[in-house]
Amino acid sequence: MNTIEVRSLTKWYGSARGVEDLTFSVEQGEIFGYLGPNGSGKTTTIRCVMGLLRPTGGESRVLGERVVPGRATQHLRIGYLPGDFRIWPGLTARRALGVLAAFGDNDTRTRVRREELAERLDLALDRRVGDLSRGNRQKVGVLYAFQHQPEVLILDEPTSGLDPLVRQIVLDLIRQAADGGATVFLSSHDLSEVSSVCVRAGILREGRLVELAPISNIVQQGERRLKVWFVEGTQVPPLPVDRLPGVRVVEQEPGALHIAYQGTADAVLKWIAQFPVDRIATPQTSLEEAFFRYYRKDACSTAEDNDNTPSGGDGS
Amino acid sequence: MTSASRPKFPFALLGFWLRRILPVWALIALMIFLIQIAVCGIVHDNQGIKTLLNFLDLLPSFVKTALGGEALQVGNVSALIAIGYQHPLVLLLLMLFAVGVPTSLLTGEVEKGTMELILSRSITKTQVYVCAGALTVAGMFALVMVMFFGTFTATRIYHFEEPVSLYPFFRAAINGGLLASAVGAIALLAASVFRHRSMAVGVAVAYLVVNYFVAVIAEWWPRMGFLKPATLFQYVNGPRIFREPAWPVGDMCVLAAILIGAAIAGGVIWHRRDLPL
Repeated sequence: MNTIEVRSLTKWYGSARGVEDLTFSVEQGEIFGYLGPNGSGKTTTIRCVMGLLRPTGGESRVLGERVVPGRATQHLRIGYLPGDFRIWPGLTARRALGVLAAFGDNDTRTRVRREELAERLDLALDRRVGDLSRGNRQKVGVLYAFQHQPEVLILDEPTSGLDPLVRQIVLDLIRQAADGGATVFLSSHDLSEVSSVCVRAGILREGRLVELAPISNIVQQGERRLKVWFVEGTQVPPLPVDRLPGVRVVEQEPGALHIAYQGTADAVLKWIAQFPVDRIATPQTSLEEAFFRYYRKDACSTAEDNDNTPSGGDGS
Repeated sequence: MTSASRPKFPFALLGFWLRRILPVWALIALMIFLIQIAVCGIVHDNQGIKTLLNFLDLLPSFVKTALGGEALQVGNVSALIAIGYQHPLVLLLLMLFAVGVPTSLLTGEVEKGTMELILSRSITKTQVYVCAGALTVAGMFALVMVMFFGTFTATRIYHFEEPVSLYPFFRAAINGGLLASAVGAIALLAASVFRHRSMAVGVAVAYLVVNYFVAVIAEWWPRMGFLKPATLFQYVNGPRIFREPAWPVGDMCVLAAILIGAAIAGGVIWHRRDLPL
């Protein structure tokens, strides 16, 4: 079952494009990564799904219900963390979170969960929000999203401003929520965090979805890597670029060659086989590298081709 | 939307906002209450009245007109007590609340970024607007009731040579409450339109100031008399309320129409507007 469905979602701010023709869905229990640089339309998508913005076209559905702007569609079942989390600075964290919980169902379970989370994140709930550091304010935001144990978590850059230890705790919380059946929509431009918790991700560029696929597919697309160590004393041979199209040298070390290639490894391996090889490794292409490919100028045309046919295929 | 998932009325938001505005409301109410006591203290004896009238004679004629005009005479105690209802300080306090509350609740939360949090909970945009409007109007009527209670209390504290009928004061208070609520609705409309509180306050105050000066000019310069119906202040006619026994139904209807019209227009704009942008 799809918990979040977005169909042909388009949002224009006057003549400026927010997002255009987005179609994707997120299944129940899935942690879906939503990637893109600043201004690519991540927050616009989220605000449309939350019903805070009125889309210019298309629609979104949450937990099977069509999102009507301004009608708080299924908000009791959603935990939301805005990208720019700001809360009443004059209130203590406990009071502010209590007020927000009271706008839904502020039951005992929520209060107990709040205290548990505060202890886990090492957050002093009795301090005024205005006196907290940026990182601690972000912790308040995390508590806000998680305190009522929602079925859907919509998190816009949840680990922004957090130190690595707390970041890990937040990622654990996300994993635990998903293990408990919650659906997580995680917007971020921190690629390592997306690759560590998400199975599938969508990549936005200038308001359009340019990729929608499992993380492993995103990483494997485009260039692949080989690192070859030659037998000691072997002169590292020059790469015949003219005979091996799509192959390039990433790095050359004494006795070793780090090669990037596209397509199959057949031609590269046949060429390497001519020399005495000590060992071969296939370094993992990082998500960062895959991600940057979508934003390199020379990748623009390829990405444009992908605009309407993300590799996720079925859009789910 | 299914009825099962329709958000309940957010009494929690109403309570939260009420606690936020209560200190300001209480301060304004106290000042208005004390002004009524002070006015009654001045006008309860003839010597005080004479001193007051001599002072008013020194001021420009439109000031005396604004405070009651020819009705301000020795022996007309009701008109003199009613100075407390038309005193610029009282009007200023009422307008402060009328403009400050809706702009603080709506635009203030938008500007602080907390409106996004409020709307991410189980509260619709219309409910947020209704809460702000309800607190503004209820707060205004509570203030005018405090004003009336001030008069009531003062007539029990001070001895007047002739009996003072409180009923015209009650009518004047309700009429004044409608005027202040209409101003509140204009401020609500401004708060629905603008993103920054300073802009919303500025527009609402500008509207008020223009209305006030048009009312003064139309009163003071006969050739500009045709402008009278264009100002809000035309619809609170103190001397007539004290002179005639009936309720000023026509004036009240105009004010109620402005209140409802501005509130509905603001509600439509608020609902259609993208938030939190």
